[in-house]
Parts: sequence; C-alpha cells; structure tokens
Amino acid sequence: MNPSGINANESIVRASRVSMCLAQLPGYGLAVLSVVVAVGALLLLEHFGFRPPTGQLMLFAVAIIAWYGERGPSLFSLILAVLSMAYFFTGPHYDFHVASSELPYFISFASLATLIWWFSTVRRRLEQDLRRARDNLKVEVDERSSLLDLTHDSIFVRDLNARISYWNRGAEEFYGWTQKEATGKKSDDLLGTVFPMPFEEILSELQQTGYWEGELTHTKADGVQVIVASRWSLRRDQHGRPVAILQTSNDITARKRWEKEIQGLNQKLAQRSIALEASNKELEAFAYSISHDLRAPLRHIAGFAELLRKNAAASLNEKSQRYLTMILEAANRMGNLIDDLLAFSRISRAEAHKSFLDLGQVVQEVVAEVRQDAKQRNIKWKIDPLPACYGDRSMLRLAFVNLISNAVKFTRTRPQAEIEIGCTDQDRGDPLLFIRDNGVGFDMKYSNKLFGVFQRLHPQEAFEGTGIGLATVQRIVHRHGGRIWAESTVDGGATFYFSLPKITRS
Amino acid sequence: MNTLGRILLVEDDPKDVELTLTALDEYHLANEVVVASDGEQALDYLYYRGKYAQRNHENPAVLLLDLKLPKIDGLEVLKQIKSDEKLKLIPVVVLTSSREEKDMVASYKLGVNAYVVKPVDFHEFVNAIKEVGAFWAVINEPPPGSVGKR
Repeated sequence: MNPSGINANESIVRASRVSMCLAQLPGYGLAVLSVVVAVGALLLLEHFGFRPPTGQLMLFAVAIIAWYGERGPSLFSLILAVLSMAYFFTGPHYDFHVASSELPYFISFASLATLIWWFSTVRRRLEQDLRRARDNLKVEVDERSSLLDLTHDSIFVRDLNARISYWNRGAEEFYGWTQKEATGKKSDDLLGTVFPMPFEEILSELQQTGYWEGELTHTKADGVQVIVASRWSLRRDQHGRPVAILQTSNDITARKRWEKEIQGLNQKLAQRSIALEASNKELEAFAYSISHDLRAPLRHIAGFAELLRKNAAASLNEKSQRYLTMILEAANRMGNLIDDLLAFSRISRAEAHKSFLDLGQVVQEVVAEVRQDAKQRNIKWKIDPLPACYGDRSMLRLAFVNLISNAVKFTRTRPQAEIEIGCTDQDRGDPLLFIRDNGVGFDMKYSNKLFGVFQRLHPQEAFEGTGIGLATVQRIVHRHGGRIWAESTVDGGATFYFSLPKITRS
Repeated sequence: MNTLGRILLVEDDPKDVELTLTALDEYHLANEVVVASDGEQALDYLYYRGKYAQRNHENPAVLLLDLKLPKIDGLEVLKQIKSDEKLKLIPVVVLTSSREEKDMVASYKLGVNAYVVKPVDFHEFVNAIKEVGAFWAVINEPPPGSVGKR
C-alpha cells in the first residue's frame, strides 16, 4: 500500500471519529439537560423551604443518562453531577470547595454515582455484545436457509411423526405448496407418498446408517403424480436420539418415462431380431433345399433327354429332335437361373469377409477369365490403374465378373468392341469406378428396372441372361456402402458407375 | 457285382444312379460299382453287416458319396469313415447337387478327398463322372487292402 493510501485511510478514520462525536452531540445535550433539570428542581425545592433529596435526585439524573446514553455523555453527566454537587449542595454553597464536614457525604455520593455509571456501562457493553452475537447468528441462519433456497432440489425437514418443520423454495416450486401451507402438515399425507418398501424397513435402515435413498411416488398440489429420487438423512439430538429427517428429492419422472420407453423399444427390437433370425434361418433352409432338391430333377430331365437323343437319333424326325433340343435348353436355362438366384441370395446371407485388396489385380484376373470365353471376339480393352480398397474379395470379384461379362455380351454386335475400366475421384471424395462399353446400350427410360431381380431390357433371343446379374452387383455394392448407377443411350454404349467408400486407415 | 466292386456309389435317387452308371459305362466301370441307397447301407457294406456280411474282405478303391441321403446322411457317413482307423484310408469323393459353401467346408473339415458338384448339363455331368471314376478307380493307386484292378 502506498503512503497516500495510508493518509487516505487515516483521514477516513479521523472523519468517522468526528462524525461519531457529532452523532453523540444530542447525548451530551441530554446529559447537560438532565443535570440542569435536577439542579433546578433541587434549588426550587430549597427556595420553597423543602429539604430536598439532593443525593437521590442527582444520582437519578446520572443513572438515567448512564442507562440510556452512550459512554461519553454518561461520563460527562457524572462529572457535571459531581461538580454541581460540590458547587450547589455542599457547604460552602456556590463554591467548588467542599467543607471537611461535608466530605464523607460528598465522597459517598461521588462513589455511588461512579458505581452506578460503571455498572450501567458494563451492562451496556454486555448488551451490545449480546446484540452483536445475536445479529451475527441471525445473518448466518439467514444465509444458510437462503442457500437451501438456492437449490432446485426440493428439501424439507420432518419430525419422526412426519410433521413438516422446514420447507425450502425448491419444495414450494416443485410440489406447489408454500412454506406456510406445508409447515406443520404430515408430509406423507400431504404428498400422498407411495413407498417402494414398508416404511418400517426405511426407518430401520435410517436408524442403522443414518441414511436412506430410494424412489418415491408423490402427488403434487395440482394432483399430478411424480416420481422422485429421494435421499433421507436422520438428524439426532446431542444425546443421539433421532429427532428429524431431512428429505431431499429430485424429479425423475421424465427419466423414468424414457427408461420405460427405451425398455419397451429394446424389447421390440429383441423380438424383431428373433423374428429376423428365424426368417433368415428359414431363408437359409429354403436356399439349401433349392440347391439340393431343385437341381436334381433338372439334371435328370437334361440327362435323360440327352440319352434319348443319343439312343433314338435315327428314329426321330427333325421336329422331334428340335423338341428335344428345346427341352435341353430349357433345363439348362433353369439350372442357370437357380445358380444365379442362389448366388444372389448368398450375397445377402453370407458374412462379408473384408480385407484390403488391390482392385487392379481383381480386374486383371476377371478380364483374363472373360477373354478366355471370348477368344474369337475382337475386343479393345483399356484398363486404367485402379485403387486399393477395403472389401470382400470374392464379392467384389463377382461384381466385376457380372459387369465385365455384360460389357462383353452387349458389344457382341460390334465389329470392334471397346471396353474401358477406370476410376475417377468424383463421388464426394470416394473412388468412383466405371465400366464403359460401346455396345447396344439401353433406354434410360427403363433405368429404374436395370438393377431389379429378373428384370431384363433385351429379349432372350438377342442377349441371353437370367436378369439377376445386375441385381447381384447392386447388392454387393450396397453391402460395401457404395452407390451404383448407369448412363446410356440406345445403341450408344453404356457406362456403369459404382462407388466404394474411401479407405480410412484407423 | 455285389461282392466285388472298386467303386461304392452311395446315392438314393435311382435316376441319378442310372445316369452315373451310364457315365461310368463309357470307361466300362459300371460293373465295378456297388450301389448303396442310403447311409446305413453304405456303412453296412463297409462293416460287413446285414446283406453284406458275406462279402469279400477288401475295401472299395473309392467311395462316391451323395450328401442328402435317407436315414444316415452323407456327412455322417463321411465322419464315421474318417474317424475309423480301418476305413479312413478309403478315398471319399462327395458327389452332390449342392454348391452350398457350408457343405463344402464341412466335408473338407471331415477330411474328404474330393468334392464334385454334379452339373445340370448332361455332357458336363458325364465328363465329370467319367473323370472322377477314371481317376480314382483306374489312375490312382488305392491304399493297401483295397479291391485290386482286374
């Protein structure tokens, strides 16, 4: 602190002393007045020939000021009284000199007056101390209870007979009864408490641990039922006897409702997943049965038709031969349909075994395979570098097999087929792969049918197929979290695009 | 034919039996075939039980096994063979309609020697059976204790 600060402080102290003296001015006035009135009255009584109670009256004057006045004025009245006594009422009169004969009387008066003044001063000090202590206490108590009012929790205190003795503002706001309305009422009657266990058990737990906590149902002043998380603490007197219970409660009605809803939803979810599992199993059994039982009769039809043709070739006319060929073709087509359909359903049923893989390598393999089957065709291949990706190798391979063999199939009518496989980075940062051909294309009007099961945009005579390939491709792309679409014009080639989510190494 | 057979064909469907025999006949193997129409009969044959109690004491050179069979199914039979010290050397070829991965994995886990899916197309079917029969019954040297070549 700097020197000017000290000076400022001193001047403040001095100023306050001056103002205190000024404030005591009326006190000094009263001191003078009481002594003057007493002296006047005594002189008047003497004047009229009475023998006045000099000592008593002067003591009275001092006592009054000492009792009611401050320390300064009362001391002042004491001095004034002693001086007046010496001057007016002890011989020689009208002189401050006190005759030796009057000395014992004067001294006893002065002592008595001093004693009265001193007692009064002590009493006053005690009174002031008490008052200060009481004021401090009051401030403290007020602070405490206003702290309890600050909280949003509802807090109330009840005695062992459930009578409410304290009710904070949180309780007022939450339950809707004011402190006045609630105090003195039986808490469990007022709140219509529903306990989760017998009250005796709660009490015994309180007795043992001093604490209990649980969920209660209360009814508010407006009749609405609420669920609260309630914490009870037992208060004991100095002898350890329980006297009251402090109850703190939070509203958990909404939470309870959510919990119930979540529980219900979970239950529903569990039921759904059981049903889903059951239907998946059924599907699996169905597919298994198709795989075994449906292919066998087909094999028999094809086998015996073939044997018939072989054994009866000489005796069959051209028409019958053609019928046999059609039977065989139909059987083979049915076999392909079943195989494709099973492969398609396997895509959904099978677990995806994902790993990091080089798409370029996959495409090279597929192209090599397709080329084997199209040796006599004149195809110009253009294969760009392809990115690595994270996916199921056999599924993605199947997707490329379908797309690339489609490209080969639908360029069949072209003297020079051109097939391009590449990748751009255009689908929101994800790699976007494309397979472009210069084949017969399709009408964009039917693009919504392109990826449907058994949907075909070309007649069977022109381009064979089961109509499952692109549906399978779409399902594979979807299982990898990608998108697939195609762009084409009739006789202007087609481009199939599909995206695969970017690899995020984590 | 009942007692001397290099090939034990376990197949419940008579049509499939006929087609298979037709295919094998191209290599003149048809008369080497013993047919068991379910898993129980196959095991009876291998353990000389029932009507096979009197057969000669040699194992077939190969066992062609269908998976879907009455009474005891193919995987059961395979399990039994591969867990028996006396039978586990017999080559077993699963010959089935099913391309289900589940069956394939289960068969290989049990120690199958080959897994062949019967093609729908008859030419392919004949080729597959012919090659299987020729390889296991003619080209392959069967383990000791098997029916010898004639």
